Amino acid sequence: MSASLTDRYVFTALRRVPEQQRADIDRELRASIDDAVDARVDAGETREAAIERTLLELGDPDRLADSYAGRSNFLIGPELYGVWRRTMKVLFTTVLPMVVTVVAVVELFAADVTVGTVIGAAIGATLTVGVHLAFWTTLAFWIVERTGAGLDDLNTPWTLAKLPRYEPGALSRMDLGALLVWPALLIVALVLQQFAFTDEPVLDPANWSFWWPLLIVLIALKGVWAVWVFRIGQWTRPVAVANAVLAVVTAAVQVYLLSADKFFNPGFTGFDAEADLRGWVSLAVIVAVILGALWDIFDVTRKTERARKGIPAQVPGTGNSYSVI
Amino acid sequence: MVLDMTTDATLASHLQELRRGTVVVASLTVLRTPGYGYSLLETLSEAGFEVEANTLYPLLRRLEAQGLLTSAWNTDEARPRKFYTTTEQGNAVAGALRIEWARLDEAIGDLSTDTVSTPGSDK
Repeated sequence: MSASLTDRYVFTALRRVPEQQRADIDRELRASIDDAVDARVDAGETREAAIERTLLELGDPDRLADSYAGRSNFLIGPELYGVWRRTMKVLFTTVLPMVVTVVAVVELFAADVTVGTVIGAAIGATLTVGVHLAFWTTLAFWIVERTGAGLDDLNTPWTLAKLPRYEPGALSRMDLGALLVWPALLIVALVLQQFAFTDEPVLDPANWSFWWPLLIVLIALKGVWAVWVFRIGQWTRPVAVANAVLAVVTAAVQVYLLSADKFFNPGFTGFDAEADLRGWVSLAVIVAVILGALWDIFDVTRKTERARKGIPAQVPGTGNSYSVI
Repeated sequence: MVLDMTTDATLASHLQELRRGTVVVASLTVLRTPGYGYSLLETLSEAGFEVEANTLYPLLRRLEAQGLLTSAWNTDEARPRKFYTTTEQGNAVAGALRIEWARLDEAIGDLSTDTVSTPGSDK
């Protein structure tokens, strides 16, 4: 019986060794095992115990095979791990929220929308998109890790130019991108809801004569404002004042339309429930719009004040600050 | 002084780091006279090198692929065995590694004697 134990062990190890090496490793491994077993028997052990101890010492045959084949025992090695982690972080903090938001907004305009279906769609999108992002990214890195193709492109050497900047004020390209993507998405959603998503538009079509175009212009102006801030590279008083005016006007238009019940399309059937759903949604949107505008004004004013006083960015957790020249 | 468990584990991992690589020098040195896997394992463990069979056997094939060892099957005896011999190139590499080992040994020795003074500590 024990003879077959060695056979099983060697066979298991050989399965995962490249074919052209199998015959040689087979002979060598068997000879080595037999030598070790003989030595143990000479030292007074029974043959069965000697075989068991010898195989136990050799350990997991799969690992032995990896070692023979020179295979690495990891998915993504230390060389690429840092790049992989940064990539995942970017994908999960930018792409994922954007896709989930778009899916949730589209779901809002579905025929029989409820709070539940929107939350369900958002959770479903988070899971599906998250799993896809993680899987395909990791697979791509795994291929690079095994084949070495494109390794130098991914793993570029670190240079001083890669150090992040901490100057208060300067808008990074990332910030600019975010500030441009959201207005664009809003405008697209505003236009599309008229024609797509639902049989009846969600928002009042009567407003296309004046209010919706005005809102589109105001949203677009926010994008123009972002480009302006990026260009001058500084938070200044005019920047803050322009932002505040823009925020107040945009919020005022929306709050006026909502409170006058001119915002939503009276013909939209999604709100036909026993409770006054349209009234509640209007109230919620009013609160959200006002809070959002206030936060925006506060945030930009704070950044402007910091830049004006030359207060440098704080080093998190130390109380020290970066000295900025 | 009693070493607790944590220190034991720490020491073990540092020892492993330190020993990594010594098996290559030792194997290339021993195999100047031909030897097979199990005989080398025995020789190394008698000489005080802690090496496991599952590390040594694949290592021998790797060194052969790098051209530092050659191998030949000896079928004269009842049990055929694969004999490895250090090549000229393997000898040169082993020589360079031994010189580096001696240099490190000397440098560590110098560091641990009191004659070395770190900058700023000379009072």
